[in-house]
Amino acid sequence: MTVTHGEDDRAILLVHAYVDGELDPANVIAIEQRMAAEPKLAAEQARVVALRRALRERLPQEAVPPGLEARVRRTVGLTGAPPRPTWLALAASVMLAIFASSGGTWYALQPSAGEGTAEAVVAGHLRALMAPQPIDVASSDGHTVKPWFNGRIPQAPRVVDLAQDGFPLVGGRVDVVGRTPVPSLVYGRRQHLISLTAIPDASVATNKSQSARGYNVIAWTADGVTYWAVSDLNPNELQTFARLFRDAP
Amino acid sequence: MSGEDTRARFERIVQPHLGDAFALARWITGDRADAEDVVQEACLRAFRAINGYAGGNTRAWVLTIVRNTAYTWLARNRSALVTAVDDLAATEHANANLAEASAGGTYAANPESDLIALADAAKLEAAIATLPSQFRDTLVLRDIQGLDYREIAAVTDVPVGTVMSRLARARQRLIRAIEAGE
Repeated sequence: MTVTHGEDDRAILLVHAYVDGELDPANVIAIEQRMAAEPKLAAEQARVVALRRALRERLPQEAVPPGLEARVRRTVGLTGAPPRPTWLALAASVMLAIFASSGGTWYALQPSAGEGTAEAVVAGHLRALMAPQPIDVASSDGHTVKPWFNGRIPQAPRVVDLAQDGFPLVGGRVDVVGRTPVPSLVYGRRQHLISLTAIPDASVATNKSQSARGYNVIAWTADGVTYWAVSDLNPNELQTFARLFRDAP
Repeated sequence: MSGEDTRARFERIVQPHLGDAFALARWITGDRADAEDVVQEACLRAFRAINGYAGGNTRAWVLTIVRNTAYTWLARNRSALVTAVDDLAATEHANANLAEASAGGTYAANPESDLIALADAAKLEAAIATLPSQFRDTLVLRDIQGLDYREIAAVTDVPVGTVMSRLARARQRLIRAIEAGE
């Protein structure tokens, strides 16, 4: 019994690693077969997936305290003390608050385009991350990825090679936004993935940056196509990625 | 290396990870104000060590410093709360093995995963907070901060195999806590 215990333990660990996308292809196949045959392992997988989803969706996004960055920069001597707020600065912040709240109203009145699409592209990114493979076609070669989209969607997306800049192409997949199948390119950055979804619709404000469900999202429009970049990568590097893609010939 | 270079390196290597740094410190200390102090101290350490930083994964490097700083900070300020490593080893021993832990309950319809999906934030927070620290850190780094196994192994200074077993145990404890609390 002790021997099988060790073997069972190993199988459980493999199920967790499978959900985390940490297994090599041979082990993926092996554990998929075992999960199909052994309800105990399938149940473990379902529990782990449910737990991961609950953690991701239910836990509130940790907000960094407002003064922390300035405090850290002061500690290491990057900046002096912040200027004391004068009545002028206070007045300006009041104006900003008024401006922001009127912007909020505008959003409430115009619910469709931006917000819904942002939700949809983030959902596509999440779904892909939960799958054992975040892509349908795996290739770092744009000449393989681009033709793959032909026949699956009306218009293949623009594919840009950014490997030299540290954003290698990983592959592509088809997401569904609303009821429209749209192409998503997947780029890598160290251990992070960036989903770049191209939607033939120019109705979104250019170069909008936001975060949704803990993911950073940047949208911009070029040639009648709105591009949505989604990643858990930090906002600065995601901006860099967006700029490189936009400026590429 | 001039002071200016050091500052530029700090801005490039450390500053982008302040959010992750704060979140990890908050989970370890359990308190936002304490987490701010830890992050500040960790950033100072990182700043002093930055010219020795050899490259590689910046986030793992920063989080390693944050985690070490947090435990030093806890030992200094609240020594009673730190689980000694010996205690943890005993805990890991006393635990029924993984396969047995996951063998409880029925498998077929799997209503328990529905139950897990319904767990609310407060319950999840509480369940995570009561995990032994090594289990909690591994789970937070993986399931909340999204590090991969090798990064977690680097941050927590253990082999990948240990990361795997701690992660599985942490998740199983969490799942049992959620089910028991229902």
